[in-house]
Amino acid sequence: MSPPVNSPSLYRRLLIWLLVPMLALGALMLVQAYLASRDTADRAFDRLLESASLSIAEQVKRQQGQLWMDLPPAALKMLASDAEERIFYALYDAHDNFISGNAELPRIDDGQGNMRFANIEWHDMALRLGVRRSQLEGWRDRQPFEVRVAHTREGREALTQALFQGSMLRLIAMALLAIGVVLLGVRMALMPLTQLRRAIRTRDPRTLAPLDLTLPRELAELRETLNELLARMRRVRANQERFIGDASHQLRTPLAGLSARAELALRQDDPRAWHDALGVMRGSADKTARLASQLLSLTRLNNPESMPEARDIDLCDIARQAVRDALTSCHRAGIDLGVETPPHAVIQSAVEWQLAEALANLIDNACRYGAMRITVRVGEAPTRLEVEDDGPGIPEAQRLLVLRPFHRGIEGGQGSGLGLAIVDGIARAHAARLTLAPAQPNAEPPGLRVRLHFTEESSP
Amino acid sequence: MTAPRRSPARWAVALTAMMLSAITLADDANVLRYPAAHEAAAQPLEIHGALDNELMAPLLADFHARYPEIELIYRNLTTLALYRRFLAEDEASADVVMSSAMPWQYQLANRGHARALTTSAAQQWPQASRWRQELFGFTFEPVVIVYRRDALADLPPPDSHEALQSLLTDERQRLKGRVVTYDPWRSGAGYTYATEDAHMSPRYWELVAALGGVEAALADTTGEMLDGLADGRYAVGYNLLGSYARDFVADHPQLEMVIPSDYALVTQRLVLIPKRARHPETAERFVDYLLSRQGQQTIRDKTPLGTVHPDLEGEGTARDLRKTLGDALHPIAIDPSLLATLDTLKRHSLLDRWQREYTRLSDSGP
Repeated sequence: MSPPVNSPSLYRRLLIWLLVPMLALGALMLVQAYLASRDTADRAFDRLLESASLSIAEQVKRQQGQLWMDLPPAALKMLASDAEERIFYALYDAHDNFISGNAELPRIDDGQGNMRFANIEWHDMALRLGVRRSQLEGWRDRQPFEVRVAHTREGREALTQALFQGSMLRLIAMALLAIGVVLLGVRMALMPLTQLRRAIRTRDPRTLAPLDLTLPRELAELRETLNELLARMRRVRANQERFIGDASHQLRTPLAGLSARAELALRQDDPRAWHDALGVMRGSADKTARLASQLLSLTRLNNPESMPEARDIDLCDIARQAVRDALTSCHRAGIDLGVETPPHAVIQSAVEWQLAEALANLIDNACRYGAMRITVRVGEAPTRLEVEDDGPGIPEAQRLLVLRPFHRGIEGGQGSGLGLAIVDGIARAHAARLTLAPAQPNAEPPGLRVRLHFTEESSP
Repeated sequence: MTAPRRSPARWAVALTAMMLSAITLADDANVLRYPAAHEAAAQPLEIHGALDNELMAPLLADFHARYPEIELIYRNLTTLALYRRFLAEDEASADVVMSSAMPWQYQLANRGHARALTTSAAQQWPQASRWRQELFGFTFEPVVIVYRRDALADLPPPDSHEALQSLLTDERQRLKGRVVTYDPWRSGAGYTYATEDAHMSPRYWELVAALGGVEAALADTTGEMLDGLADGRYAVGYNLLGSYARDFVADHPQLEMVIPSDYALVTQRLVLIPKRARHPETAERFVDYLLSRQGQQTIRDKTPLGTVHPDLEGEGTARDLRKTLGDALHPIAIDPSLLATLDTLKRHSLLDRWQREYTRLSDSGP
């Protein structure tokens, strides 16, 4: 596992996720405020264009066969505000011919209604142009004409600026307030987290007692998960303590026996008695050594840090090898040991030594608990390993208990009580299913069939 | 641009004449040169103005004395020539343009041909005498009535428009042919005053009818009117340019100058710096000088042109006139209504009306 990289603190993360969208939103609102201000200013000033053009249009009449107007100076004054805009006006007839004015202004083709507005660029000046379509009011003569008026944008810009500055100040005040509230809110919201951290830090590192702390719902879940983990750790520790106790007890008994036997032999002078005693002591020492090696295996299996390398192996090879290894001792004990394998290789991803250990333990168990006939079998679909014997079997009520370390199926038996626990550990390491069943349910004794089912995801 | 081009000839004649100058057309006579003190470091400045040399000379001399490093050329042109030269794209020679033709100057600035001046004097210039920071009125010249004391000895003096109108109506026979005013057709100034007068009060038309009743003579220039008054041809002159009349009347004791007390039009000479000016720095320095206290003082002391600067007091200053006339003082506004003056159709309308009113009481035309 690589060391965890420190990601930004929750506080910073929250601030970033709250403030960045808020600022983006603020910027958007500023843009919107500016556009609205410009729109308002344009509307206000367009009214000037409208009334000026109207006041000009009212003065247009027909005289000497052509369009005529008596330009009202007030109409031109109307076009200029305090910003002293440059102003332009022109009168055009129906055929777009210039009649009078101080500038030739363009027409506006798009738009509807009698009054049209447009922003135009004219001789390097940005102008707002208003075009009024009108017609002569007469009994017979209703000739159409256009009054075009325009002015520069200074007044509009000044009003836009004034309006925009007002909105901007309000927005900035609101943004400052919001930022303050967010800072405070985030701090308040993260307070329970600080409490939790402090509570964990100040705990005695040896204690596994559950945390007792009032927390908000989200953190309460975390607290519960933490408490569950602590409870599991308590169970694991209890198991370990029991295991160590059992193991030391198991080791002490044969060692005490060895010591007693040696003492007894030393009191005698007969070398034959010594010889006998040494024989017994060797058997005892072998048993103890075996117990120690099994304990070692179990420890290795239970160690979560160890990650044995799995590779594709042939289960038939494993079965045959296990039978070969056990053949001599079984033969001596008059036990019939056999192997049944398919004619071809059965490949399974597994840790070789663990499977070998499991088979050795199962064969050994069968030998010890009075089986006369042991068959090691490799099956396919599903892939499985079986060890079947004709011994006394295990009553159904005992089948789960025997998987626990130091539990012997039959009191006073020859085993250490670790064999099936080791097999169970190996099965779990391979995610294989371990089943115990009678070999011949109707016969007496029923015998035992221990089966390792490898499933799809079976791999250590 | 189209409107003024349609009647350029009349404008040209009128506005030139208004200058009261006997300008010869020989170019050299119309150019004043002030060489720089040191040829090497000379900074050129070319001013085009519709202002007589003898009026400009004291002002230019004072400026030149203050800034001897500037090589100054003053070209006196008619208002029309000034305007035409300005619009001719290839001639970008003028750095400063001064003219009494307020509508035309306004038209140029309105079209964006003027450069903004932001010196402190320009910033503080009275709002009524400037437009944006581009157009500045630097003189203050009332429009006046001048009459002969001996001709009106037993009559009430025409000290207001109303008094003048009743005088003309009451003494119609006596004053027949002895009244003179501007010809609004031929004189741009006369036309501008007529526009303003008509705008001030509809009773102006009664005055025009009264002028028609006495068969008033129509003159092109203030000078013409003053000469006629001095040699006794005319008894009353209406709408004369006060800045010229003031000095003339001082030299002719039989004449009396009155600033109408009901309302007095005031005309201003407008100065602008063209955008295309080749020497904008010296141009800005000159205009800044025109608007400065020193420049205005020189105008007050050495020329008959009135001053605008609010700090200056004495004869001919705006402050002095305001004190005596108060609300009656009516400076021609530097605002968009000047553009209406330039409108061709508007001009025709006004002159038609003028003609109608003028011939209302008598069959004889102008």
